[in-house]
Amino acid sequence: MELRALWHGPALATLSWSAATIAAYLCARAVHRRWRRASPPPLVTSSLALLAAAIVLHTSYHEYILATGWLLILLGPATVAFAVPIFEHRALIVRHWAALALGMVAGSLTSMVSAWALATLLGVDEQLRLSLLARSLSTPFAMEVSNTIGGAADLTALFVIATGLVGATLGELMLACLPIRSALARGALLGLGAHGMGTAKAHEVGGEEGTIAGLTMVLTGLLNVLAAPLIGAYARLL
Amino acid sequence: MFSRRLGIRVPSLLEGSLLLQILLVVGLWLGADGFVHITGLPVPGGLVGLIAALALLASRRLSVRSLRRGSQFFIGHMVLFFLPAVLAVLDHRELMSVLGCKVLLVIVAGTAAVMVVTALVVDLCTRAKGVR
Repeated sequence: MELRALWHGPALATLSWSAATIAAYLCARAVHRRWRRASPPPLVTSSLALLAAAIVLHTSYHEYILATGWLLILLGPATVAFAVPIFEHRALIVRHWAALALGMVAGSLTSMVSAWALATLLGVDEQLRLSLLARSLSTPFAMEVSNTIGGAADLTALFVIATGLVGATLGELMLACLPIRSALARGALLGLGAHGMGTAKAHEVGGEEGTIAGLTMVLTGLLNVLAAPLIGAYARLL
Repeated sequence: MFSRRLGIRVPSLLEGSLLLQILLVVGLWLGADGFVHITGLPVPGGLVGLIAALALLASRRLSVRSLRRGSQFFIGHMVLFFLPAVLAVLDHRELMSVLGCKVLLVIVAGTAAVMVVTALVVDLCTRAKGVR
């Protein structure tokens, strides 16, 4: 009884769930590095392990996120960190700013229109539909946009992750199938389609691809945050 | 003389230490986030921090080497920072049904569309530029 109370104490819960989360991540990453092709992405294995632990220990999402929310907050500094690759490849960006800008606008529009149209076609309700709109953005931006347009931010965070997982796999397929010539287009495809996880994949493909993916991810996030009030107003009209 | 020596030692200390660089990235973000809270700007603090970091790099107030390792740390471990959000599934068991399959279908088809459109637009633009 007392042991259980201790387990649920905020300090100990924070310590133990944070340690469990980091350990699950490190193990999953080590396994993935050892058997690259044959194993699922680290995010899948580690989150399944944590889900199992939370269900067995009867921990709710509320309790879990209270303990590990600080990790999610570190996505903020991670966004700041993109300054370095962007700065290092500034010449490339200056040279191709028009192509990148067009690609980002076209990609963002496709993302929202396709989500809205498909969800309507399949009879998904409005709250879910609105939460799906921002799914292609990086988490901090997606949650901001979702709040503005009237979606549920925690659902959006889930869809963002699903998009990242789907997109990282799909992106590899696309790169193999589509007749793309430029590193620029390869990077934009991954950055817009699969945000952070696409960017990680793009860094595996090449330095230029990785930079463009990171840049398009961040700038598309900015574009959407700025356009969010407009999108929200329009979505309510539909 | 003294100030010059200090000016050399502080950056080299920063350039050699991953921990200090991590703290610098976090510090930049904290400052930017505070700024966003005070001014009520409708953008995430991370974005303002990114712009501030770019400005510092561009104006040579900060060398790339004093930020590179810290930056690689955060970008390389981004999956860990996403991880806690996955457990939101616990609160949305309704997604463990047909509805979840529908949502997944929207995500797969939508993401494929985004990728094809983006890659085509960017590739055509760069080709057009190459021809000119």
